[in-house]
Amino acid sequence: MDNRIERVYVPMTETGFYILYCLQTPQHGYAISRQVEWMTNGELTIGAGTMYGTLSKMEKDGLIVFEREEEKRRLYRITPLGEEVLDKELRRIERLYRNSRGEKYDG
Amino acid sequence: MAETATIIKVFTIADFKEEEVWLRERSSEGLHFLRMIVPCFYIFEKGEPRDVIYRLDYTSHAEDRDYQTMLSEFGWENCGRCAGWIYWRRSADELASEAEGELFSDDESRLNLVKNVLLTRMLPLLLIFFCCVLPNLVRAIDGELFGASGFFLWFFGIMFVLYVYLFIHCGGKLLRMKKELEGKE
Repeated sequence: MDNRIERVYVPMTETGFYILYCLQTPQHGYAISRQVEWMTNGELTIGAGTMYGTLSKMEKDGLIVFEREEEKRRLYRITPLGEEVLDKELRRIERLYRNSRGEKYDG
Repeated sequence: MAETATIIKVFTIADFKEEEVWLRERSSEGLHFLRMIVPCFYIFEKGEPRDVIYRLDYTSHAEDRDYQTMLSEFGWENCGRCAGWIYWRRSADELASEAEGELFSDDESRLNLVKNVLLTRMLPLLLIFFCCVLPNLVRAIDGELFGASGFFLWFFGIMFVLYVYLFIHCGGKLLRMKKELEGKE
């Protein structure tokens, strides 16, 4: 992972994290937004403009890739680089979570 | 063909939030946005008053089919384009939450829009100002431009005042927006 990717994506924004997490299964922007709403019990809504912009940026940076088109909609999936970024973020969140409960994080 | 109405109203490139509110107010009076003609003519279709939310986007992806498809799928109706701005709207009644009435849900994407306007609209204005308006005004004051014709002095004088106003109003407002959004990140 080069420095630029690390600087831009670690730590990730909530939007970025959920989009990348959801793209472990190939899907399109609107399906991601519905899944995020369901996962967060409606606490996080990703706007259409934000979804489009984030997907474009992640595709350009190689974190996700165009998979196929379905009824005019572009489906994306995560790449190995995207998985690397996501793993790093998941470990960071795990540490935050453990620490927030007063536990020590052992890696 | 439905009856139309034209309203003259000036919004600068930094007033897009005000423009969104203004269009919503017109819809609540039964005037639904049809199209805009630069610089300040708004054409409306007369109909029943409705609560409609308008949002303006400024992006280089306007032609991208995927952009259009995605926003439509999220429930937005494209209702026109003018001078780089894309007009989207949706009925306020169908919103499950307030957040659904926004195109952008994080500061990063809001900041991108402001940066995009600054870069592609304000920067060229600055170039025109320093390469054309200012030198010609100086030449007109010196009387070098086609003799001491008063026309050029007036013309570039008015341009000078207009540009200075634009820099102070739009530039200042956009930079304040940028700073506010960067501060929150």
